[in-house]
Amino acid sequence: METVLRTLAQLSPILFAVAFLGPVIDQGMQALGLAAPLGVSTLTFALLIGGAWGLFAQMTGRWI
Amino acid sequence: MNAHSLVSADLSTLTDAELRRLELKIARKYSGKMPWRIVIWAFGNLAVWLSLWPLVMSSIMPLWLAFPIATINIALVYLPTHEAQHDIIARPGTKLRWLNELVGHATSWMMIYPFEVLRITHLDHHRHTNDPELDVDITTVAPGPWSAIWTTIRQRQPKAKRSMDYLAALARANRPDLIVLAVLYRLGFIAILGALAWSGYALEALFLWWLPYQIAITYIIFFLSWAPHHPGNERYRYRNTRSWKSSVGNIGSMGMQFHIVHHLHPYIPLHLTPAAYYEMRPILEARGCRLGDL
Repeated sequence: METVLRTLAQLSPILFAVAFLGPVIDQGMQALGLAAPLGVSTLTFALLIGGAWGLFAQMTGRWI
Repeated sequence: MNAHSLVSADLSTLTDAELRRLELKIARKYSGKMPWRIVIWAFGNLAVWLSLWPLVMSSIMPLWLAFPIATINIALVYLPTHEAQHDIIARPGTKLRWLNELVGHATSWMMIYPFEVLRITHLDHHRHTNDPELDVDITTVAPGPWSAIWTTIRQRQPKAKRSMDYLAALARANRPDLIVLAVLYRLGFIAILGALAWSGYALEALFLWWLPYQIAITYIIFFLSWAPHHPGNERYRYRNTRSWKSSVGNIGSMGMQFHIVHHLHPYIPLHLTPAAYYEMRPILEARGCRLGDL
């Protein structure tokens, strides 16, 4: 149990990015009427951006 | 000598013990009173914030209007939990003790902290104020207001020292159970945000909780931690915090202009600290406290 929790806590930047940041970017783009480039859906684009940012936070320990 | 004659009295002739006696006499006068207003504040604030969710989700209230209200709600959460941390609403063993604990638990989760974690770490801050090794709030020290805001944001990053200091305080208190609970709260927060977001309410979750929390916690740390302890380099109990005149007034600075009274006598309710301060001021002056122009 504790190992699972520790692992999840260590992965929290990635979890946050996929669970929340991606959908926020997606729904934010839709609300503003913005289209994703290269013909991909806004959700795919948002998950790529959010995921990359989460990976950055995961590796560096900071979002900004 | 009584407390009312202090203004004209020459306190420099009094001994340390005499000054202490006078100070305690004033402090006791303002303590032990049930602060009902903070209880009403706690539950009223919670009710308003909770009501925003159905109002926004059913399109009765626009999100742009709910966002500033939610930010104010979350900024107002900390003071009731702070009173409960210090047992000001009801001390252990008294009839209304359950209410003290209820206020603490009912408010702190909005800030994504278990009440007991806030209580233990905050009391540790009181014990070790400005100690570079042991004060859990030492990471809020910054040379000026803008750098204080930036430091607060930096200290909320995943690998920031502040989180480590909080965990260390819980470890010192021999409460590994609270470390687990704190982690569960964080993961639970992500799970709730994720569930809302993937149900189509990402912007609602962003503007009713996540962003208000980020703004509110910056504001709270600025006025409850940075400003009253600035520059944060003295540890003597009469010098480790201060009073000061805030440019946003007493309400705008959440009553923290009188933070020195809170540190010296943390059992005095928030709304009574100004009166206690003005009555105690000559003693504090004689003690060499940092009183600014208040």
